[in-house]
Amino acid sequence: MSRPAHRRPEYRKINKDLFVLTYGALVAQLCKDYEKDEDVNKYLDTMGYGIGTRLVEDFLARSCVRRCHSYSEIADIIAQVAFKMYLGITPSVTCNNASRNEFSLILDKNPLVEFVEELPTGRSSLCYCNLLCGIIRGALEMVHLAADVTFLQDRLKGDSVTEIGITFLKKLDEKKYRRKK
Amino acid sequence: MAVCVAVIAKENYPLYIRSIPTENELKFHYMVHTSLDVVDEKISAMGKALVDQRELYLGLLYPTEDYKVYGYVTNSKVKFVMVVDSSNTALRDNEIRSMFRKLHNSYTDVMCNPFYNPGDRIQSRAFDGMVTSMMIQVC
Repeated sequence: MSRPAHRRPEYRKINKDLFVLTYGALVAQLCKDYEKDEDVNKYLDTMGYGIGTRLVEDFLARSCVRRCHSYSEIADIIAQVAFKMYLGITPSVTCNNASRNEFSLILDKNPLVEFVEELPTGRSSLCYCNLLCGIIRGALEMVHLAADVTFLQDRLKGDSVTEIGITFLKKLDEKKYRRKK
Repeated sequence: MAVCVAVIAKENYPLYIRSIPTENELKFHYMVHTSLDVVDEKISAMGKALVDQRELYLGLLYPTEDYKVYGYVTNSKVKFVMVVDSSNTALRDNEIRSMFRKLHNSYTDVMCNPFYNPGDRIQSRAFDGMVTSMMIQVC
């Protein structure tokens, strides 16, 4: 199997503040455009989905991760490799249920909300970082995994940590998946 | 320490103003208002060439019987004015300077908040808390 090893060996970094402010401006603009929080959340998720479906290619090319054999492995890769690569943080992973298809990524630091003090008044159900959910969902879908990704806790809403919940919906079709490779 | 802290926008309207003895608020508002003329004077007196490389801290603007008024202007022409009790002689120029720097940093954080519209009154809780901490120190 040939895979272009390290597509871009050198990481081109952009200024963190620029990135964070750009994201802030994006959310603020969406808040102006849509009255309801649900609409903003949905739009952020859709946008993230679009990013995720593309980003996964970049991720696979750059990270050279091996095939995962379990959901928990996937969750670990997302937390330790993907988050590290794109956001510079490593959330901790916990498994929530016995069937081992629900995982939580707990972010004790979230660079995206660095400048946001609190949610604006009347926007209490806004998921500020909902883009992340969309990205994860989109990326997983491109590797044939249907998943449900939502925010379970959010620091901006007064919780002590930020928690992203990932629920894998469909089992991997092992045979089909293997043949494809 | 400080008895009144004000942030004035480029167009000379207040973005934020707070004083501790709340019963005498108007007096401080007048004081800050008068000081703006001094700020303008100080900036225009420096001449064009110097404006580009001037220090942000303007120093003592004017003293009154009971108070001293200090000023600070950012490069975007936002003014910070601080009124200090003149009986507090322990307060050095350097401390005032560092207080202004703290104020400036806090203001920058407010500006970076994506939900704050530049030009609105500052209602940030963090900024408020910082100003309060500056006011109750030693006071």
